[in-house]
Amino acid sequence: MKEAGEKLLNVALVGNPNSGKSTIFNKLTGLRQKTGNFPGVTVDAKEGRLRLPSGRELRLTDLPGTYSLHPTSSDEKIVAAVLANPRDPHFPDAVIYVADATHLEKHLLLLTQLLDLNVPVLLALNMSDTAAEIGIKVSPGILAERLGIPVVPVSGRTGENIQKLIGEVEKLLLAPLAARKPFYVPTELEKQVAEAVCLNLNLDNPYQALLIAHHQSWLPFLSPQERATLEAIVKNKEFQSLRIQVDETLERYDRFTPLVQAAVQNPPQFPSTPTDRIDAFLTHRWVGPLFFFVVMLLVFQAIYDWSAVPMDLIENMFSGLTSWLKIHLPQHWLSDLLTDGILAGFSGILVFVPQIAILFFLITLLEEVGYMARVVFMFDKTMRRFGMNGRSVVSLISGGACAVPAIMSSRTIGNWKERLITTMVTPFISCSARIPVYAVLIGLAVPANRVFGILSWQSLTFGSMYALGVLAAFASGFVLKKVLRTHDLSYLAIELPVYRMPHWKNLWLTVWEKVLAFVIGAGKIILIISIVLWAMARFGPGDDMQQAEAEALRIAATQQLNDTATADLVAAYQLESSYAGCLGKLIEPAIRPLGYDWKIGIALIASFAARDVFVGTMSTIYSIGSSDDDVMLREKMQSATFDDTGTSVYTLATALSLLVFYALAMQCMSTVAVVARETGHWKWALFQFAFMSLLAYFGAWVVYHLFQ
Amino acid sequence: MQRRYRTVPDLKIHESARALAFEDPALAGKLTAMGLLPGTLIEMVRTAPFGNAYYIKADGVRLALRKEEAASILIDL
Ligand SMILES: Nc1nc2c(ncn2[C@@H]2O[C@H](COP(=O)(O)OP(=O)(O)O)[C@@H](O)[C@H]2O)c(=O)[nH]1
Repeated sequence: MKEAGEKLLNVALVGNPNSGKSTIFNKLTGLRQKTGNFPGVTVDAKEGRLRLPSGRELRLTDLPGTYSLHPTSSDEKIVAAVLANPRDPHFPDAVIYVADATHLEKHLLLLTQLLDLNVPVLLALNMSDTAAEIGIKVSPGILAERLGIPVVPVSGRTGENIQKLIGEVEKLLLAPLAARKPFYVPTELEKQVAEAVCLNLNLDNPYQALLIAHHQSWLPFLSPQERATLEAIVKNKEFQSLRIQVDETLERYDRFTPLVQAAVQNPPQFPSTPTDRIDAFLTHRWVGPLFFFVVMLLVFQAIYDWSAVPMDLIENMFSGLTSWLKIHLPQHWLSDLLTDGILAGFSGILVFVPQIAILFFLITLLEEVGYMARVVFMFDKTMRRFGMNGRSVVSLISGGACAVPAIMSSRTIGNWKERLITTMVTPFISCSARIPVYAVLIGLAVPANRVFGILSWQSLTFGSMYALGVLAAFASGFVLKKVLRTHDLSYLAIELPVYRMPHWKNLWLTVWEKVLAFVIGAGKIILIISIVLWAMARFGPGDDMQQAEAEALRIAATQQLNDTATADLVAAYQLESSYAGCLGKLIEPAIRPLGYDWKIGIALIASFAARDVFVGTMSTIYSIGSSDDDVMLREKMQSATFDDTGTSVYTLATALSLLVFYALAMQCMSTVAVVARETGHWKWALFQFAFMSLLAYFGAWVVYHLFQ
Repeated sequence: MQRRYRTVPDLKIHESARALAFEDPALAGKLTAMGLLPGTLIEMVRTAPFGNAYYIKADGVRLALRKEEAASILIDL
């Protein structure tokens, strides 16, 4: 493994949560990083490139933070699964172990486990700036001697000794791996089990064998036969895994505590710190939750306010480019594909970028300073009733802006089931794209008169739509909690880190990484669906489209319409004869019970791209495509009648039913794409699509019949 | 019969006691890995706003525990 061959060497960062691993990773890789997907698991690990002084490049992986190789959550399992399997493609050629120098007595457990796995490892004593500040002196010499590995005091924040760290990594990769005396001396029973496992799986490291024996039930790299053999060994030897894990942990502490005591001068006392004084307010019975809601309101506001200008800019840029191209390109379906398919797709992707960037900036800020752990603590109980976790609060509230970044932020949830439920219910929260739809429909059908002097029926309806979304989210969380099964135990047990000033470099790197992940990952899919939708509206069966055009031109001529009105009429007739129009007519029987005609059907189908498409599609159908006039659209819609019965389409019942449909249905291809990406399976995206659509259909049906 | 031990939820606010042992082996694995060991000094800081969870300090490290988790830690009298 060590020869200076062509193979890209792997170096992994391992350490406890909050040890400053990500900060060191950012320092080492800068922009040369991306989020890689580990096959078979849903949690991502970050990967980056690092150039050694010799010019050689290596791959640096930031493994999730964990306390021990005996994992308790799905992201911790990744670490154990990678490190217990030398055949894993991510198995590191060397490990940089990051420990918090100000809490060394709590940070060495995992390191001693790595020592026993015989991976080349070096210890980075992080936060040495803080240690110096509060007068803790750690002797790297004593630690290096007693642990038998290189030790470098570093600071991810100030960048102190980072070059030295890289130099040590290179030395470590070049040095031959000396056989180490095991740090932990196993008991007789453990020895027997380890021997049996080594023999059966053809391994030579006893601690690795022991880890595999402990975790045989879930380790992903074992074949069914291997698993069966291991199960038999464990049963046969009466190997009580959980108890033995605890004994091993305690034994390790007993061994390294004297070592820490020898190496650390001025062990920390625990005086009342600023963190305690801040927490007296921020986790206070009343002030705590109140403060949280104020913060969330501000976040929400910021996403609206700050994103409006860049979003308009992006949309104007694209619509400007589109109209320019429409004028200058020859009339051909390829030109249409470029403008209405590809460019529309790009604009649909890029228009989300400001919101994603702002949301992630604020959420990462809250995470960086240490506040998020407090939110988890305060709301854990409430959220658990609904199958979620304290951290889900953040996702749900972010969903009020846009479900795409909100779902991406649920990654911090360790428990698979809680994270999945959060992902499943977040799109119920009314996002900003529903606002234009609500505005048109409410203006159309709900009377503007006031109820109690101040409130109008219109604003009440508006508010109820938001309430409906929240209700649907919590209710489905409650149901999913009963239905889904998981082997993951659910824990709260979370460290509440000390409050720190944010490290700005971490912040903007995270924002950059999320935006890139969205544009590349979800963007591909959005682009494809957008092109499909375009094609369906552009083409029709046989020569129907040409006939529709001729028919429209004939009518326009008899009515002596001007050019714009003629073009609008042609567009309306063509849409009716296109595949999208056919589909609208095809589904009309299904949506008639909700009070919709085929025109609304087309809008519903088109709205799958994004909800705000509703307004644009309705404009095209009612032949006012070239004007941006909501009032005119409303008038046209008000006078619309069903083709067969001639009764009015837009009654109060239809409008309310449509409102409920838009509040509950999954009509956003970006969200579908993101759900598929984040859960790692299309099946969850499809399941969510199905249950949201069913709920929307049912809800709309009930409302239509109540108000008819 | 009087119980011979207490658990963490029995602590009053700002009261401290030493951890003795754990009742649930799965939780014991998690808590010991996080540095909460037999012999660790535990201080009760406050309860969560909506109950069911505790903010504690274990040898100066701040932790949030659910009630069940806290109740699995036996402490001295
Ligand atoms: N003072 C100081 N703070 C640091 C250092 N490294 C990281 N931090 C801060 O410690 C917190 C946790 O760091 P992070 O990298 O997110 O930890 P991770 O959970 O191990 O990835 C963040 O607020 C960082 O800004 C350091 O060397 N010195």
